[in-house]
Amino acid sequence: MIYYTILFYVFAVLAVATAFYVVFAKNVIHSAFALFGTLFAVAGLFVLLNADFIAITQIMVYVGGILVLMIFGVMLTTKIADIDIHTKNLNRIPAILFSTGITVILIFILFTTKWNIKPQVQNQETVSQIGKLMLTTYLLPFEIASIVLLVALVGSAMYARKTK
Amino acid sequence: MPEWLIDILITLTKIVIVEGVILTAVAYSVYAERRVSAFTQNRIGPNRVGPAGLLQPLVDVVKLLMKEDIVPAKANRLVHALAPGISILVALSTFAVIPFGDKILLAGREIKLQIADVNIGILYILALVSLGVYGVTLSGWSSNSKYSLLGGLRSSAQMISYELSMGLAVLGVILINGSFELDTIVQNQFGWKWNIILQPIGFLTFLVSAFAETNRTPFDLPEAEQELVGGYHTEYSSMKFAMFFLAEYANVIVASSVITTLYLGGWQFPYLQTFGLPDMLVSILQVLAFCGKVFLMVLFFIWVRWTIPRFRYDQLMNLGWKAMLPLALANLVLTAIILTLFKT
Amino acid sequence: MEQTIISLKNFIPECVLIVTILVCLLADLIVRKKSAVVAVIGIAGLFVSGWFVIGQFGVKESVFFGMVVIDPYSVFFKLLFIVSTVFIILFSLASKEIKDSTHTNEHVYLMISLTLGANLMASSVNMLMMYLALETVSITSYVLAGYMKKSKRSSEAAMKYVIYGAASSGIMIYAMSLLYGYTGSMNIFEISSILSKMGGTNPMLVIVMVMILAGFGYKISSVPFHFWTPDVYEGAPIPVTGFLAVTSSAAGFAVLIRFFSVTFLKSTTMLNGSLQIIDGIRWTEIIIVLSVASMIIGNFVAVWQMSFKRLLAYSSIAQGGYIMLGLVVANQQGLTAIFVYLVAYMIMNLGAFYALIMISNKLNSDDINDMKGFAYRAPAVAVGMGIFMFALSGIPATVGFVGKFYLFSALIESNMIWLALVGMMNSVVSLFFYIKVLKYMFLSKPDEENSGKIYYGIAGYVLLFILVIPTLLLGIYFGPIVRFAEMSAVMFGLK
Repeated sequence: MIYYTILFYVFAVLAVATAFYVVFAKNVIHSAFALFGTLFAVAGLFVLLNADFIAITQIMVYVGGILVLMIFGVMLTTKIADIDIHTKNLNRIPAILFSTGITVILIFILFTTKWNIKPQVQNQETVSQIGKLMLTTYLLPFEIASIVLLVALVGSAMYARKTK
Repeated sequence: MPEWLIDILITLTKIVIVEGVILTAVAYSVYAERRVSAFTQNRIGPNRVGPAGLLQPLVDVVKLLMKEDIVPAKANRLVHALAPGISILVALSTFAVIPFGDKILLAGREIKLQIADVNIGILYILALVSLGVYGVTLSGWSSNSKYSLLGGLRSSAQMISYELSMGLAVLGVILINGSFELDTIVQNQFGWKWNIILQPIGFLTFLVSAFAETNRTPFDLPEAEQELVGGYHTEYSSMKFAMFFLAEYANVIVASSVITTLYLGGWQFPYLQTFGLPDMLVSILQVLAFCGKVFLMVLFFIWVRWTIPRFRYDQLMNLGWKAMLPLALANLVLTAIILTLFKT
Repeated sequence: MEQTIISLKNFIPECVLIVTILVCLLADLIVRKKSAVVAVIGIAGLFVSGWFVIGQFGVKESVFFGMVVIDPYSVFFKLLFIVSTVFIILFSLASKEIKDSTHTNEHVYLMISLTLGANLMASSVNMLMMYLALETVSITSYVLAGYMKKSKRSSEAAMKYVIYGAASSGIMIYAMSLLYGYTGSMNIFEISSILSKMGGTNPMLVIVMVMILAGFGYKISSVPFHFWTPDVYEGAPIPVTGFLAVTSSAAGFAVLIRFFSVTFLKSTTMLNGSLQIIDGIRWTEIIIVLSVASMIIGNFVAVWQMSFKRLLAYSSIAQGGYIMLGLVVANQQGLTAIFVYLVAYMIMNLGAFYALIMISNKLNSDDINDMKGFAYRAPAVAVGMGIFMFALSGIPATVGFVGKFYLFSALIESNMIWLALVGMMNSVVSLFFYIKVLKYMFLSKPDEENSGKIYYGIAGYVLLFILVIPTLLLGIYFGPIVRFAEMSAVMFGLK
């Protein structure tokens, strides 16, 4: 069990550290690479939760699809790598106070709340269970998600289409 | 020795053997490619080094290693060095889930001829395939050269487009087998029940997508010499170039193995188990059957390369989105309908 | 399987909408140019869907494995959304901005998708479903806000909307995950019963409420989350602005009201009708703060606006504040008052936006300065606008008065007199800027160079007239909407 704990912290630290880098990197493409690390570490966390299907889907969809498209976009925007992004804040001090405040509150909540922790279950085959749930309990969200995607598709095609 | 140590040792042995075989096979598929192309074009091809030129690949490797490693002045050095590594890592690790034989009994121990038997094997392959884009894209970007960049862009667009039809084509196989485990899929293909017979359309779409994913002709636009010099690896030399080269052929071999596993019965040799041969012999014959099928597939890849001209970019995209994707979808729907109607 | 089929039977209106979306999409691909055909198909689909929704009146059923419910409450909202979408599609046919855009007919089925999302927002009882429905509405509105691709303002509006939207729904879903982590359920009835057992004195729950309000509050443009409103309203084409002001924010109220009144309700009191909030969870106090802030900021900032769209933006922020007053009461009467107010809000806002479309079609501007002397140029439109402005400020004999009257009387009956007073004071302030528009239209003379008469087609006047009639008629004869609201103020699972 100790190995799992160690692995958990490795992935967790990796996820948080790369996420920090995503936010603070001055170069867009470095941010994108750091995001690679974040998404991968999250996939690792899913594996530790016995959610192998979700982990693989995370890699397939986010790392293999979305992030590639993002890098693709960055690459098409020529010379973006040489531009410094000035992350200037107008209200630096209030922002710092506000976000530290929220962080403190959230950490306080994390440690004081009695979370509903369920016993660990060893799942043999998650895929078929997920499939069954998708077509029973979560049928409606599953179908509505397709409508959302259709709308997003129509919208992006609408913006991207050449105008005569 | 404790049990877990033995397990680790067995796995390590399997990894070393498999990767060793693949790397050798990669070197010799380069040789095969040169010989076959020579044959197609009515030339002789490499025949000087060793008997029938068989030592040529080794010499080539040494030559590449000795060359000067040039990095363009404004390149992003870290990414430039990382990209070939990603390519080859992805290509080689895909093989981890492919079963190359049935279980064998060795010193009273049942050993699976597969490095890792994960229950989502197909998804693992698809995930790694989708990661393969990174090597190409990053090398194209980091070289800071317009040819590389164009090659990288083309390939990422191409690979993402064909990934979809690939995934959809595989779904047909999954529907028939009801499992993501490659081992189960192979087990189910005993006798004549190869998936190529049950899933002809799926096989076709998968094959075409596999060609596109490996950036082989007729879909080798990322490295179309006439337009892009060398495509994404224009600015690479020496060992880094060799790694891209290796990755390309490793990808061909892996793609061939995946096609074999999914559609051509994997290690199954029709009705071999019913002949009553000794177990050990059966296992060895099965591994050989797998190797033979993969070899034929690789030959097919090479054959196609020297026969079919390259697509234009718009043709490639049209084929991907307007032909392969609908075809794969139709195949999926058809399979589902047939299964609901006839499977009790 | 059985349950899915039963659920589908109760889900016909939404299925009709989905089919309409697809048919419109195909029709648009076939027609390939701007044409009223797609809009007509869309409106027909909406009517059919509306017919089935009316048939659901009185049903109280939970469908799709506890994801959504059909109850009078959701039926009310669905009818409201469908009616307003029909009007908005008609508006978009009249709008010059939409006509001049480079697109063909995408707005029709995008608007219907938004209606579908809104319908689901009104009927979801599961946090997952709520989030998805909210995203359907949001993503569609992002696309619609940037509908005029060539216009910088429109693109800016879409961009701002996306960024605010992403941030606020991110905050909301984080809060939902906290709530899930605490209770282990995503169904609001189950959450309510678990919370009732555990008791509510937990700092976590306060944070959860505030953060969830960030998501819902963004939809209803309640004050701390309202920053997008003026810019988006200004940049988007006017029919879309009207749509956001009416459907999108009413949908926000639908989900907000259901979430807060069910989740934090003592589950033991749900069936005996006494309806008590779980001890220690004082969500009404948070709502009071937001509501008062929305009213004050909305009304006071609106005073300085010279852009009509921005003025209407601040006005709808303020109107949102009034509606939240009804939520503070947290009983049947408050809900009835909210419903009456929503009907009034829909009618008068649609009217105001339509009059604005008519004006800006001819003036190519929404600046109030340009509307000087508009009453001399197109008296009928100016009078119509005047009626809607009076209604929005709540002058008696208009439907706006009925809405405010019921809200304030609900407040007074639950002894929240000071809140009612704040609301009334705000109404007085709002009168100032609503009348300001009329002052420019009626009391100033038009500039020399544009003083010619403006004429509209007969259809334009008819549509305006259709909106003016209920604004006045329901202001005097408001019995029907009140009865309708009383019948509708019944939620699934509550007595």
